[in-house]
Amino acid sequence: MTRPTLHLLALVLLLAACGGSQPTSTASIPEIGPEALESRILEAGRPAVVNIWASWCIPCRSEAPLLAQAYTAYADRIDFIGVAVQDRSPTAAGFIEEFAIPYENYLDENASVRAAMGGTGVPITYFISSDGTIVRTHIGVIDEQQLALQLDELVARS
Amino acid sequence: MEFTLLWAVLTAAALGRLAIWRTKPPPETGDILVGSATTGLVVGRLAAMIGDGVNPLTNPADIIIIRAGVDTGFATLAALLMLARLSRLDGKLLDQAAPVALAALAGWHGGCLWRSTCLGAASDLPWAYPQAGSSIDRHPVELYAALLFIGGAWLVRHPIRSPGVAAGLALSLAAAIRLSTQPLRPSLTGGPVGWYVAGLFAGLVWAGFSTRSRPGERSEGDPDPAAGAVPDLDPSAARFDDSLGDGQTEPGPSPGT
Repeated sequence: MTRPTLHLLALVLLLAACGGSQPTSTASIPEIGPEALESRILEAGRPAVVNIWASWCIPCRSEAPLLAQAYTAYADRIDFIGVAVQDRSPTAAGFIEEFAIPYENYLDENASVRAAMGGTGVPITYFISSDGTIVRTHIGVIDEQQLALQLDELVARS
Repeated sequence: MEFTLLWAVLTAAALGRLAIWRTKPPPETGDILVGSATTGLVVGRLAAMIGDGVNPLTNPADIIIIRAGVDTGFATLAALLMLARLSRLDGKLLDQAAPVALAALAGWHGGCLWRSTCLGAASDLPWAYPQAGSSIDRHPVELYAALLFIGGAWLVRHPIRSPGVAAGLALSLAAAIRLSTQPLRPSLTGGPVGWYVAGLFAGLVWAGFSTRSRPGERSEGDPDPAAGAVPDLDPSAARFDDSLGDGQTEPGPSPGT
Protein backbone atom coordinates (compact mmCIF):
# COMPACT_ATOMS: atom_id res chain seq x y z
CA MET A 1 0.00 0.00 0.00
CA THR A 2 1.50 3.33 -1.03
CA ARG A 3 2.01 6.20 1.35
CA PRO A 4 -0.63 8.46 -0.27
CA THR A 5 -3.15 5.66 -0.01
CA LEU A 6 -2.31 5.19 3.67
CA HIS A 7 -2.66 8.91 4.28
CA LEU A 8 -6.00 8.93 2.53
CA LEU A 9 -7.19 5.95 4.54
CA ALA A 10 -6.07 7.60 7.76
CA LEU A 11 -7.92 10.77 6.82
CA VAL A 12 -11.09 8.84 6.06
CA LEU A 13 -10.90 7.01 9.40
CA LEU A 14 -10.29 10.28 11.18
CA LEU A 15 -13.27 11.94 9.56
CA ALA A 16 -15.40 8.88 10.18
CA ALA A 17 -14.52 9.10 13.85
CA CYS A 18 -15.91 12.64 13.86
CA GLY A 19 -19.36 11.35 13.07
CA GLY A 20 -21.49 11.25 16.17
CA SER A 21 -24.17 8.77 17.01
CA GLN A 22 -27.83 9.62 16.70
CA PRO A 23 -28.53 12.53 19.07
CA THR A 24 -30.79 11.87 21.99
CA SER A 25 -32.61 14.05 24.46
CA THR A 26 -34.15 13.62 27.86
CA ALA A 27 -37.15 15.70 26.79
CA SER A 28 -40.31 13.66 26.47
CA ILE A 29 -42.72 13.76 23.57
CA PRO A 30 -46.44 13.26 24.21
CA GLU A 31 -48.03 10.29 22.53
CA ILE A 32 -50.95 10.63 20.18
CA GLY A 33 -53.36 8.42 18.28
CA PRO A 34 -55.60 9.04 15.25
CA GLU A 35 -58.68 10.10 17.25
CA ALA A 36 -56.76 12.55 19.41
CA LEU A 37 -55.07 14.03 16.37
CA GLU A 38 -58.37 14.50 14.57
CA SER A 39 -59.85 16.21 17.64
CA ARG A 40 -56.80 18.44 17.89
CA ILE A 41 -57.21 19.59 14.27
CA LEU A 42 -60.96 20.10 14.43
CA GLU A 43 -60.77 22.04 17.69
CA ALA A 44 -58.24 24.42 16.21
CA GLY A 45 -60.54 25.08 13.27
CA ARG A 46 -57.65 25.88 10.97
CA PRO A 47 -56.01 24.05 8.09
CA ALA A 48 -53.18 21.80 9.18
CA VAL A 49 -50.08 20.15 7.86
CA VAL A 50 -49.29 16.82 9.48
CA ASN A 51 -45.81 15.50 8.84
CA ILE A 52 -45.09 11.85 9.59
CA TRP A 53 -41.40 11.37 10.31
CA ALA A 54 -38.86 9.29 12.21
CA SER A 55 -35.47 10.11 13.64
CA TRP A 56 -33.90 7.15 11.81
CA CYS A 57 -35.29 8.30 8.47
CA ILE A 58 -32.56 9.90 6.35
CA PRO A 59 -34.92 11.60 3.88
CA CYS A 60 -36.76 13.16 6.84
CA ARG A 61 -33.60 15.08 7.65
CA SER A 62 -33.67 16.88 4.33
CA GLU A 63 -37.22 18.15 4.75
CA ALA A 64 -37.09 19.00 8.46
CA PRO A 65 -35.42 22.42 7.94
CA LEU A 66 -37.85 23.17 5.11
CA LEU A 67 -40.89 22.42 7.26
CA ALA A 68 -39.47 24.55 10.05
CA GLN A 69 -39.05 27.38 7.56
CA ALA A 70 -42.60 26.90 6.27
CA TYR A 71 -43.92 27.03 9.82
CA THR A 72 -42.23 30.39 10.31
CA ALA A 73 -43.92 31.74 7.20
CA TYR A 74 -47.40 30.22 7.71
CA ALA A 75 -47.78 29.80 11.47
CA ASP A 76 -50.47 32.46 11.62
CA ARG A 77 -52.65 30.68 9.05
CA ILE A 78 -51.86 26.97 9.20
CA ASP A 79 -51.18 24.53 12.05
CA PHE A 80 -48.10 22.35 11.70
CA ILE A 81 -48.01 19.05 13.55
CA GLY A 82 -45.25 16.47 13.48
CA VAL A 83 -45.81 12.83 14.34
CA ALA A 84 -42.80 10.59 14.92
CA VAL A 85 -43.69 7.03 14.07
CA GLN A 86 -41.93 3.77 14.93
CA ASP A 87 -39.52 5.77 17.02
CA ARG A 88 -38.43 6.16 20.62
CA SER A 89 -38.89 9.28 22.66
CA PRO A 90 -35.17 10.04 23.36
CA THR A 91 -34.08 9.83 19.71
CA ALA A 92 -37.18 11.60 18.42
CA ALA A 93 -36.63 14.40 20.92
CA GLY A 94 -32.99 14.55 19.87
CA PHE A 95 -34.09 14.98 16.26
CA ILE A 96 -36.42 17.82 17.23
CA GLU A 97 -33.66 19.55 19.14
CA GLU A 98 -31.11 19.01 16.38
CA PHE A 99 -33.27 20.72 13.76
CA ALA A 100 -34.83 23.17 16.18
CA ILE A 101 -38.30 22.18 14.97
CA PRO A 102 -40.57 24.93 16.27
CA TYR A 103 -43.99 23.31 15.90
CA GLU A 104 -45.64 20.70 18.10
CA ASN A 105 -44.63 17.08 17.74
CA TYR A 106 -46.06 13.84 19.00
CA LEU A 107 -44.95 10.24 19.27
CA ASP A 108 -46.85 7.36 17.69
CA GLU A 109 -44.73 4.27 18.26
CA ASN A 110 -46.99 1.82 16.47
CA ALA A 111 -47.77 4.20 13.58
CA SER A 112 -51.52 4.09 14.18
CA VAL A 113 -51.91 7.67 12.90
CA ARG A 114 -50.30 6.77 9.61
CA ALA A 115 -52.41 3.64 9.32
CA ALA A 116 -55.59 5.69 9.87
CA MET A 117 -54.65 8.48 7.47
CA GLY A 118 -53.28 6.25 4.72
CA GLY A 119 -49.83 5.79 3.26
CA THR A 120 -46.75 3.76 3.90
CA GLY A 121 -43.19 4.60 4.87
CA VAL A 122 -41.74 7.88 6.02
CA PRO A 123 -41.83 10.76 5.44
CA ILE A 124 -45.44 11.52 4.58
CA THR A 125 -47.01 14.96 4.63
CA TYR A 126 -50.78 15.41 4.83
CA PHE A 127 -52.47 18.69 3.97
CA ILE A 128 -55.72 18.93 5.87
CA SER A 129 -58.47 21.51 5.51
CA SER A 130 -60.08 23.15 8.52
CA ASP A 131 -62.99 20.69 8.40
CA GLY A 132 -60.60 17.78 8.82
CA THR A 133 -60.58 16.60 5.21
CA ILE A 134 -57.27 15.36 3.87
CA VAL A 135 -56.95 17.35 0.64
CA ARG A 136 -53.51 16.15 -0.36
CA THR A 137 -51.16 13.38 0.72
CA HIS A 138 -47.53 13.67 -0.26
CA ILE A 139 -45.61 10.45 0.18
CA GLY A 140 -41.83 10.85 0.33
CA VAL A 141 -39.64 13.89 0.70
CA ILE A 142 -41.46 17.07 -0.20
CA ASP A 143 -39.52 19.78 -1.94
CA GLU A 144 -39.80 23.49 -1.46
CA GLN A 145 -41.86 24.11 -4.58
CA GLN A 146 -44.48 21.48 -3.78
CA LEU A 147 -44.65 22.49 -0.14
CA ALA A 148 -45.17 26.15 -1.04
CA LEU A 149 -47.80 25.20 -3.62
CA GLN A 150 -49.80 23.02 -1.24
CA LEU A 151 -49.61 25.59 1.54
CA ASP A 152 -50.90 28.19 -0.89
CA GLU A 153 -53.78 25.87 -1.78
CA LEU A 154 -54.61 25.31 1.88
CA VAL A 155 -54.68 29.03 2.59
CA ALA A 156 -56.88 29.64 -0.46
CA ARG A 157 -59.35 26.98 0.71
CA SER A 158 -59.72 28.40 4.19
CA MET B 1 -37.83 19.35 -7.87
CA GLU B 2 -39.85 16.27 -8.06
CA PHE B 3 -39.47 15.55 -11.71
CA THR B 4 -38.48 12.23 -13.06
CA LEU B 5 -34.84 11.54 -13.57
CA LEU B 6 -35.95 8.67 -15.76
CA TRP B 7 -37.49 11.04 -18.30
CA ALA B 8 -34.29 13.09 -18.35
CA VAL B 9 -32.15 10.02 -18.91
CA LEU B 10 -34.41 8.63 -21.60
CA THR B 11 -34.53 11.94 -23.46
CA ALA B 12 -30.79 12.43 -23.19
CA ALA B 13 -30.14 8.87 -24.31
CA ALA B 14 -32.46 9.21 -27.29
CA LEU B 15 -31.04 12.58 -28.33
CA GLY B 16 -27.52 11.45 -27.61
CA ARG B 17 -28.03 8.38 -29.74
CA LEU B 18 -29.38 10.58 -32.53
CA ALA B 19 -26.41 12.94 -32.23
CA ILE B 20 -23.98 10.05 -32.34
CA TRP B 21 -25.73 8.64 -35.37
CA ARG B 22 -25.58 12.00 -37.15
CA THR B 23 -22.11 13.21 -36.31
CA LYS B 24 -20.05 10.18 -35.35
CA PRO B 25 -18.16 11.55 -32.37
CA PRO B 26 -15.25 9.71 -30.77
CA PRO B 27 -16.32 6.46 -29.15
CA GLU B 28 -15.54 7.73 -25.66
CA THR B 29 -18.10 10.55 -25.93
CA GLY B 30 -20.86 8.53 -24.31
CA ASP B 31 -18.56 7.55 -21.44
CA ILE B 32 -17.61 11.18 -20.91
CA LEU B 33 -21.22 12.32 -20.75
CA VAL B 34 -22.34 9.49 -18.48
CA GLY B 35 -19.26 9.95 -16.28
CA SER B 36 -19.93 13.67 -15.92
CA ALA B 37 -23.59 13.15 -15.11
CA THR B 38 -22.78 10.46 -12.55
CA THR B 39 -20.16 12.65 -10.92
CA GLY B 40 -22.66 15.46 -10.67
CA LEU B 41 -25.23 13.16 -9.10
CA VAL B 42 -22.78 11.83 -6.50
CA VAL B 43 -21.37 15.26 -5.60
CA GLY B 44 -24.86 16.75 -5.44
CA ARG B 45 -26.00 13.95 -3.14
CA LEU B 46 -22.91 14.36 -0.93
CA ALA B 47 -23.49 18.12 -0.74
CA ALA B 48 -27.11 17.53 0.25
CA MET B 49 -26.09 15.02 2.92
CA ILE B 50 -23.56 17.40 4.42
CA GLY B 51 -26.11 20.19 4.28
CA ASP B 52 -28.59 17.98 6.13
CA GLY B 53 -26.03 17.15 8.80
CA VAL B 54 -25.48 13.57 7.68
CA ASN B 55 -21.82 12.46 7.71
CA PRO B 56 -21.23 10.59 4.42
CA LEU B 57 -18.31 8.69 5.95
CA THR B 58 -20.30 7.28 8.83
CA ASN B 59 -23.41 6.78 6.71
CA PRO B 60 -22.00 5.68 3.33
CA ALA B 61 -25.08 3.68 2.37
CA ASP B 62 -27.18 6.83 2.52
CA ILE B 63 -25.40 8.17 -0.56
CA ILE B 64 -27.56 5.93 -2.74
CA ILE B 65 -30.79 7.29 -1.24
CA ILE B 66 -31.13 9.83 -4.02
CA ARG B 67 -34.71 10.60 -3.03
CA ALA B 68 -33.40 12.09 0.21
CA GLY B 69 -32.15 15.03 -1.80
CA VAL B 70 -29.53 16.18 -4.30
CA ASP B 71 -28.07 19.66 -4.20
CA THR B 72 -28.63 20.65 -7.80
CA GLY B 73 -26.26 23.62 -7.66
CA PHE B 74 -23.25 21.57 -6.62
CA ALA B 75 -24.38 18.71 -8.86
CA THR B 76 -24.41 20.95 -11.92
CA LEU B 77 -21.08 22.50 -11.00
CA ALA B 78 -19.45 19.11 -10.48
CA ALA B 79 -20.88 17.71 -13.70
CA LEU B 80 -19.63 20.68 -15.70
CA LEU B 81 -16.17 20.53 -14.14
CA MET B 82 -15.93 16.80 -14.81
CA LEU B 83 -17.14 17.31 -18.35
CA ALA B 84 -14.49 19.99 -18.85
CA ARG B 85 -11.79 17.72 -17.44
CA LEU B 86 -12.76 14.58 -19.33
CA SER B 87 -13.32 16.40 -22.60
CA ARG B 88 -10.10 18.40 -22.16
CA LEU B 89 -12.24 21.42 -23.04
CA ASP B 90 -12.74 20.05 -26.52
CA GLY B 91 -15.12 22.62 -27.95
CA LYS B 92 -16.44 20.28 -30.60
CA LEU B 93 -17.37 17.62 -28.09
CA LEU B 94 -18.91 20.16 -25.72
CA ASP B 95 -20.93 21.62 -28.59
CA GLN B 96 -22.23 18.19 -29.39
CA ALA B 97 -23.19 17.58 -25.79
CA ALA B 98 -24.98 20.92 -25.49
CA PRO B 99 -28.25 20.14 -27.29
CA VAL B 100 -28.38 16.71 -25.68
CA ALA B 101 -28.04 18.26 -22.23
CA LEU B 102 -30.75 20.83 -22.92
CA ALA B 103 -33.03 18.13 -24.28
CA ALA B 104 -32.40 16.09 -21.14
CA LEU B 105 -33.43 19.09 -19.05
CA ALA B 106 -36.57 19.37 -21.16
CA GLY B 107 -37.30 15.73 -20.43
CA TRP B 108 -36.61 16.28 -16.75
CA HIS B 109 -39.08 19.17 -16.54
CA GLY B 110 -41.62 17.48 -18.81
CA GLY B 111 -41.50 14.52 -16.43
CA CYS B 112 -43.62 16.65 -14.09
CA LEU B 113 -46.62 15.28 -15.97
CA TRP B 114 -45.75 11.87 -14.58
CA ARG B 115 -45.93 13.09 -10.98
CA SER B 116 -48.49 15.88 -11.37
CA THR B 117 -45.98 18.51 -10.27
CA CYS B 118 -46.14 20.89 -13.22
CA LEU B 119 -48.10 23.69 -11.61
CA GLY B 120 -46.89 26.99 -10.26
CA ALA B 121 -48.38 30.37 -9.48
CA ALA B 122 -52.10 31.02 -9.81
CA SER B 123 -53.20 32.34 -13.18
CA ASP B 124 -56.34 33.19 -15.13
CA LEU B 125 -54.78 32.52 -18.50
CA PRO B 126 -56.85 30.18 -20.69
CA TRP B 127 -54.35 27.34 -20.60
CA ALA B 128 -53.91 27.43 -16.84
CA TYR B 129 -55.44 24.49 -15.02
CA PRO B 130 -56.00 23.39 -11.42
CA GLN B 131 -54.50 20.48 -9.58
CA ALA B 132 -56.79 17.63 -8.70
CA GLY B 133 -59.40 18.62 -6.14
CA SER B 134 -58.69 22.33 -6.42
CA SER B 135 -60.49 25.21 -8.11
CA ILE B 136 -57.42 27.41 -8.51
CA ASP B 137 -56.05 27.56 -12.05
CA ARG B 138 -52.28 27.66 -12.16
CA HIS B 139 -49.48 28.17 -14.63
CA PRO B 140 -48.05 24.87 -15.88
CA VAL B 141 -44.67 26.43 -15.24
CA GLU B 142 -42.62 23.27 -15.65
CA LEU B 143 -44.15 22.68 -19.07
CA TYR B 144 -43.13 26.23 -20.00
CA ALA B 145 -39.61 25.36 -18.92
CA ALA B 146 -39.68 22.10 -20.88
CA LEU B 147 -40.77 23.89 -24.05
CA LEU B 148 -38.11 26.55 -23.60
CA PHE B 149 -35.47 23.87 -23.13
CA ILE B 150 -36.60 22.20 -26.35
CA GLY B 151 -36.27 25.55 -28.10
CA GLY B 152 -32.84 26.03 -26.56
CA ALA B 153 -31.73 22.60 -27.76
CA TRP B 154 -32.91 23.48 -31.24
CA LEU B 155 -30.97 26.77 -31.18
CA VAL B 156 -27.66 25.13 -30.30
CA ARG B 157 -28.15 22.04 -32.41
CA HIS B 158 -25.32 23.18 -34.68
CA PRO B 159 -21.90 24.54 -33.73
CA ILE B 160 -21.85 28.34 -33.75
CA ARG B 161 -18.89 30.33 -35.11
CA SER B 162 -16.13 28.39 -33.38
CA PRO B 163 -15.95 25.29 -31.17
CA GLY B 164 -17.23 25.85 -27.64
CA VAL B 165 -19.50 28.79 -28.39
CA ALA B 166 -22.63 26.66 -28.66
CA ALA B 167 -21.78 24.93 -25.39
CA GLY B 168 -21.31 28.24 -23.61
CA LEU B 169 -24.57 29.58 -24.98
CA ALA B 170 -26.31 26.37 -23.95
CA LEU B 171 -25.18 26.86 -20.37
CA SER B 172 -26.42 30.45 -20.45
CA LEU B 173 -29.71 29.37 -21.99
CA ALA B 174 -30.26 26.74 -19.32
CA ALA B 175 -29.62 29.27 -16.57
CA ALA B 176 -31.76 31.92 -18.27
CA ILE B 177 -34.69 29.52 -18.69
CA ARG B 178 -34.60 28.54 -15.04
CA LEU B 179 -34.20 32.16 -14.01
CA SER B 180 -37.05 33.43 -16.17
CA THR B 181 -39.50 30.76 -14.99
CA GLN B 182 -38.54 31.00 -11.31
CA PRO B 183 -41.03 33.80 -10.49
CA LEU B 184 -43.86 31.45 -11.51
CA ARG B 185 -42.75 28.77 -9.03
CA PRO B 186 -44.21 28.83 -5.53
CA SER B 187 -41.30 29.19 -3.17
CA LEU B 188 -40.41 29.80 0.45
CA THR B 189 -36.91 31.09 -0.22
CA GLY B 190 -37.02 32.59 -3.71
CA GLY B 191 -35.14 29.68 -5.25
CA PRO B 192 -31.47 29.30 -6.18
CA VAL B 193 -31.35 32.53 -8.17
CA GLY B 194 -27.67 33.03 -7.39
CA TRP B 195 -26.77 29.75 -9.09
CA TYR B 196 -28.81 30.72 -12.15
CA VAL B 197 -27.15 34.12 -12.46
CA ALA B 198 -23.72 32.54 -12.03
CA GLY B 199 -24.53 29.97 -14.73
CA LEU B 200 -25.82 32.65 -17.06
CA PHE B 201 -22.63 34.67 -16.86
CA ALA B 202 -20.31 31.65 -16.83
CA GLY B 203 -21.85 30.45 -20.09
CA LEU B 204 -21.51 33.86 -21.71
CA VAL B 205 -17.89 34.15 -20.56
CA TRP B 206 -17.13 30.69 -21.92
CA ALA B 207 -18.82 31.50 -25.24
CA GLY B 208 -16.90 34.76 -25.51
CA PHE B 209 -13.66 33.04 -24.60
CA SER B 210 -14.27 30.37 -27.22
CA THR B 211 -14.97 33.00 -29.88
CA ARG B 212 -11.91 35.08 -29.11
CA SER B 213 -9.37 32.38 -28.40
CA ARG B 214 -9.97 30.37 -31.54
CA PRO B 215 -11.30 32.78 -34.09
CA GLY B 216 -10.33 30.81 -37.15
CA GLU B 217 -10.82 27.31 -35.86
CA ARG B 218 -13.74 25.61 -37.48
CA SER B 219 -14.19 22.01 -38.21
CA GLU B 220 -15.14 20.80 -41.62
CA GLY B 221 -18.85 21.21 -42.19
CA ASP B 222 -19.23 23.87 -39.49
CA PRO B 223 -21.12 26.97 -40.54
CA ASP B 224 -19.20 29.82 -42.05
CA PRO B 225 -19.86 32.88 -39.89
CA ALA B 226 -19.22 35.14 -42.85
CA ALA B 227 -22.00 33.44 -44.74
CA GLY B 228 -24.42 34.15 -41.89
CA ALA B 229 -26.33 30.93 -42.52
CA VAL B 230 -26.43 27.63 -40.73
CA PRO B 231 -26.43 24.64 -43.01
CA ASP B 232 -28.49 21.59 -42.21
CA LEU B 233 -26.71 18.72 -40.62
CA ASP B 234 -25.71 16.11 -43.08
CA PRO B 235 -26.02 12.64 -41.59
CA SER B 236 -22.92 11.61 -43.42
CA ALA B 237 -20.84 14.53 -42.19
CA ALA B 238 -18.13 13.60 -39.74
CA ARG B 239 -17.54 16.45 -37.32
CA PHE B 240 -15.06 14.51 -35.32
CA ASP B 241 -12.97 13.75 -38.33
CA ASP B 242 -9.79 14.16 -36.26
CA SER B 243 -10.60 10.99 -34.43
CA LEU B 244 -10.69 9.07 -37.66
CA GLY B 245 -7.11 9.99 -38.46
CA ASP B 246 -5.43 11.94 -41.20
CA GLY B 247 -8.50 13.85 -42.14
CA GLN B 248 -10.26 10.74 -43.35
CA THR B 249 -13.95 10.70 -42.89
CA GLU B 250 -16.24 7.82 -42.50
CA PRO B 251 -19.71 8.05 -43.96
CA GLY B 252 -22.54 7.76 -41.49
CA PRO B 253 -25.15 5.09 -41.73
CA SER B 254 -28.05 5.71 -44.00
CA PRO B 255 -31.39 6.48 -42.41
CA GLY B 256 -32.56 3.04 -43.32
CA THR B 257 -29.88 1.20 -41.43
